[in-house]
Amino acid sequence: MFEKILIANRGEIALRIHRACRDMGIKTVAVHSTADANAMNVRLADESVCIGPPPARQSYLNIPAILSAATITGADAIHPGIGFLSENADFAEVVAEHGFTFIGPKPEHIRAMGDKVQAKVMAKELGIPTLPGSEDALTSVDEACTTARTIGYPVLVKAVSGGGGRGMKRAHNDAELRSLVPLAQAEAQTAFGDSSVYLERFLDRPRHIEVQLLGDGQGAVVHLGERDCSLQRLHQKVLEETPSPGLDAAARERITEIAVEALKRIGYRSAGTIEFLYQDGEFSFIEMNTRLQVEHSITEMVSGIDLVREQLRIAAGAPLGYDQTDVHLRGHAIECRINAERAEDFRPSPGRITEYHAPGGPGVRVDSGLYQGYEVPPFYDSLISKLIIYGCDRQECLMRLRRALEEYAIGGIDTTIPLHQRLADNAEFQTGAYDTGWLERLLDHHG
Amino acid sequence: MKFGGSRPKLAPDPDLIRSLAKLLDETGLSEIEYEAEGQRIHVARYAATTIAPPSTQPAAEAPAPVTKPPAGTNGASHHRNGADDPGILKAPLVGIAYLCAEPGAPPYVRVGDTVAEGQTLLIIEAMKVMNQIRAPRPGRIARVYVGDAEPVEYGSALMQIE
Repeated sequence: MFEKILIANRGEIALRIHRACRDMGIKTVAVHSTADANAMNVRLADESVCIGPPPARQSYLNIPAILSAATITGADAIHPGIGFLSENADFAEVVAEHGFTFIGPKPEHIRAMGDKVQAKVMAKELGIPTLPGSEDALTSVDEACTTARTIGYPVLVKAVSGGGGRGMKRAHNDAELRSLVPLAQAEAQTAFGDSSVYLERFLDRPRHIEVQLLGDGQGAVVHLGERDCSLQRLHQKVLEETPSPGLDAAARERITEIAVEALKRIGYRSAGTIEFLYQDGEFSFIEMNTRLQVEHSITEMVSGIDLVREQLRIAAGAPLGYDQTDVHLRGHAIECRINAERAEDFRPSPGRITEYHAPGGPGVRVDSGLYQGYEVPPFYDSLISKLIIYGCDRQECLMRLRRALEEYAIGGIDTTIPLHQRLADNAEFQTGAYDTGWLERLLDHHG
Repeated sequence: MKFGGSRPKLAPDPDLIRSLAKLLDETGLSEIEYEAEGQRIHVARYAATTIAPPSTQPAAEAPAPVTKPPAGTNGASHHRNGADDPGILKAPLVGIAYLCAEPGAPPYVRVGDTVAEGQTLLIIEAMKVMNQIRAPRPGRIARVYVGDAEPVEYGSALMQIE
């Protein structure tokens, strides 16, 4: 097992990784930008190294600085966290070349899943259902129309080199498609430097369902259930829950089995999540994330398995040590992503925390680096806390969620706690009947 | 930067700082540096002026209270950050600082040396690459903060150039 791990990330995920390391008696090295010098994960870490000024490019994305910090502190392994370099296959390779263990999947799998078109091709080969679409980039508007009629309208025109839900255009018929394709190509060229576009069927009311997987790279793969992440605003997840209130047992069984078989075939290592859209009883592959996810915590609550700990064990070469029959998913869990933003208009609200009291009690977990006196920096994404609720069933979970939100006090800045309270009180959310457009429709109606 | 050894305390020792500040008053010194057990504490007084015609600026000569350090003093730190101090050369990268071109050779510069702009003052080795750290402007080396073969982080104080 590693003696010292360098955590190449920040915020609550860096704290999460630090905790998993300390649970196993492993020493931690926190690398940080100047803006994060007083972050809780830096204060708690055994050692810390400032690697650059606030901009991510000069700090959290600064590969030489991170490698240098690992060298001078004598770290054995590097955990890349979420975002930043976690899905950078080159980083994974250069870490290994310098004699450190990269805590994550094999570089070739990171690379394969990083290219949207290639990932879809690979998914198809592995028997994962995908959305009907053009096989490759469109070569002409006529081709677009022929393809669209095969797929069935409405269709989405998407950039091959795009991502993050940007630059997608919807067409309902040939006439619209003819005018939108050149427009989409021009926009793609400007935004991504590549005008290639492809077509995909558009789903109007899907749910976002993702499957959590763990592989040991030695052939064993298990799933830890699915998560429903349909509550999104501008393609950013706001609240996640498991199990999905929109899936029946048969659908759950079907999609988790497909996902496990696919990863077994490629000998996947470490944690990974396959994301799907689910509508009219059909699953469609969107993408695979070859890393830990923010919402991994709700899976931990219902499975009793510490996902970061499993990442460390697997990276150290241990076999999984258990199979699917040993995995028991019990109860219900919900996570609220709490951002440093005004709940009314989502305007960022960095600044000094003047009061802080986190909720507690049965079934309440808070993953956050906040403390009284902490200055939330303006340079990074606005997630400042994850409130994770567990209950024996969805009803208990919802009651506990409402109670915990009442207790949570964060003074000095604006947070999205009021938004989560609105959700907890919302009748439709309480029934579980929502899709990926639901939250934005709710926000539009009430302003 | 926290580096090496056991987990450091989260806060410096206020009694020690108070007694050091008192020493400043009693002795009339402007700086005291105290090092023990891997911790270094530096206490300094920045009066507006100490050599001035009598009677015009009595308040300026009082030492800064420990509870509200004047700009530029960190109180206690493992490496002096030097964020507000003029003339402090800070490390632009993470690595190991070397004061000599090679083991056994004389150091590039010593305290008291006059240096020209662009002159190599020390090396920071990062990933087997030796990066020359040069004087940003001409001046005199007033202080050297790092030892030979000492690890440095981004922003670590290296030298003070007057």
